[in-house]
Amino acid sequence: MDPITAMYVSQGVHGLAYGMVLFLVASGLTLIFGMMGVLNMAHAAFFMLSAYFAYQITVSTGSFWLALLLGPIATGILGVLVERFLLRKIHSMGHVAELIVTTGVMFVILGAVKFIWGTEFLYVSPPPILNWSANIGGMVYPVYRLFVMVLTTIVLGLMALIIFKTRLGMVVRAAVSNAAMVNALGINVPILFMFVFGAGSFLAGVAGVTIAPVLSVFPGLADQMGMDAFIVVVVGGFGSLGGAFLVAMTIGLLSSFGVQFLSQLAPVLTFAFMAIVLAIKPMGFFGERE
Amino acid sequence: MINRKVKWVLWGVMLILLTFYPKLVGPYFTNVFVHFAIFALYAVSFNLLLGYTGLFSFGHAMYFGAGGFATALALIHINGCSLLVALFMGFFASVILAMVLCPIVSRVSGTAFAMLHLAFSMLIYTLALKLRKITNGEDGVSGFPIPALNIPGVVSFDMRDSTNFYYFVVVVIGISLWLLWSFTKTPFGQLMVSIRDNAKRVAYMGFKVPQTKAMIYAISAGFAGIAGAVLALFQDVIAPDFALGPGTSFQVILITMVGGMGSFFGPIWGSAIFTLLQEFTSRYIKEVELLMGVILIVVMLYFPKGFAGVLALIGSKVFGQLPRKTTAEDG
Repeated sequence: MDPITAMYVSQGVHGLAYGMVLFLVASGLTLIFGMMGVLNMAHAAFFMLSAYFAYQITVSTGSFWLALLLGPIATGILGVLVERFLLRKIHSMGHVAELIVTTGVMFVILGAVKFIWGTEFLYVSPPPILNWSANIGGMVYPVYRLFVMVLTTIVLGLMALIIFKTRLGMVVRAAVSNAAMVNALGINVPILFMFVFGAGSFLAGVAGVTIAPVLSVFPGLADQMGMDAFIVVVVGGFGSLGGAFLVAMTIGLLSSFGVQFLSQLAPVLTFAFMAIVLAIKPMGFFGERE
Repeated sequence: MINRKVKWVLWGVMLILLTFYPKLVGPYFTNVFVHFAIFALYAVSFNLLLGYTGLFSFGHAMYFGAGGFATALALIHINGCSLLVALFMGFFASVILAMVLCPIVSRVSGTAFAMLHLAFSMLIYTLALKLRKITNGEDGVSGFPIPALNIPGVVSFDMRDSTNFYYFVVVVIGISLWLLWSFTKTPFGQLMVSIRDNAKRVAYMGFKVPQTKAMIYAISAGFAGIAGAVLALFQDVIAPDFALGPGTSFQVILITMVGGMGSFFGPIWGSAIFTLLQEFTSRYIKEVELLMGVILIVVMLYFPKGFAGVLALIGSKVFGQLPRKTTAEDG
């Protein structure tokens, strides 16, 4: 492979890897939105918090694998607590109230992170077994990023299996399309909400830990990923997993190649994309309702 | 209802207090008051959308910032631009921006409305950061001349003097708030509440809901623009991070929620609370975000009507009357 092609390919793989992680964050967001009608403003903050968990656990125990196990679980538990003790209390007050409370949670997490870990960049090194670069047909590529792609594929495959092949997944999908009816059929929807909120936070947690060695850990992580995840959910259509996947990949590639060709305007590009799509289809590509 | 005479006396006392305030507290707290007044107008214009019409926006800062940048750029590029013209430019720029966006945003409501505003405000914010030739990037536009307020042949006030500027702000923002207050009392203003409560029904009654929303939207944007313009004149600098950024959009949500989105005067209380809070806590506490988040959650869980709601409750206890319904119809 000549160097120019190698560069394009590696940019493309970069974009896909970012798209996968983005989808991991956005899938939780879109499921929560589809079921509960809550756009969880704190979702990206959970993602960032999990990256900090990864840093803390690797520093104190020296094991990245332990972080990969415990970080998402801790984030998931936090999500369950937020749903049980905050969101459930104001569910009857409407969507604006829920947006505001989750914004409050976002601020609290952001403030707590700055209070505990400060604002400087922290670095998490990948586990030694993955910390080398492979030479694939003349293209040098860090193995850890390949691992990120493999891991996210496995997690997403498991998620798809649960959602589309099990009874639990069927109930979740039914609740996404009509929660009141599912409740009337005798299924405990509040507990289902709590479970989905926890699972969504768990996915954000997985994304946070896996991304920690690639990007560095700092409070601005939430802004970047959060904005992109919102765009994915909104453009893909609220509650649509397929739409979210498509848009996540598009944005991954768009930002990867955008930096290459239009470095000045790359951030504008994604927002312009979102604004245009929403102006034409306010419900997103695959959305059926607002 | 408080006696009408008592009300007039209270207004009189407030007017006297406002007149002699700079003499009483000195220049520093005069400037604190100006800051409070700017954010009060900004929050009241935001509340026109949130509290009255039920439209939640994550990007109101774009109108605040547009007004500020328009005023600053007018003062730099137009030779001998007078103060009131510059102020009007701020208002005008925000209204134009709102009219450009309203064909898109007036069709939606709820979460889509909120997210669309996040997208547009971030678009404008990033553009302001990137178009260095016009906005000077992160540093923002600064050092523009602040013209004196001239009444030709009669008198001229130097606006660089903090006391003079204070009176200017009190008049401009006072008039703006009075106009908005009167607007909420007109039949057209009452339509806002009807749209919030049942948009479908309003449409059945023969009103054009999207057009009405668009009008309210443009008015709200214009007054946010005035607030931004006054800020630019006040600080002699307008930077994207302070005037256009997502933080400014969130701040106004916070102010409105804490003050109470149910009433016209709620956001004014909110601005007062936040100005005082910033004044006294920023010296001791670094974690402003943590504090704001906790305030937001506690207010939403336990005082959804905000400070104005608490005041109304106390008022009804003290004056021994039935608790008034604190919806947007009353003050």
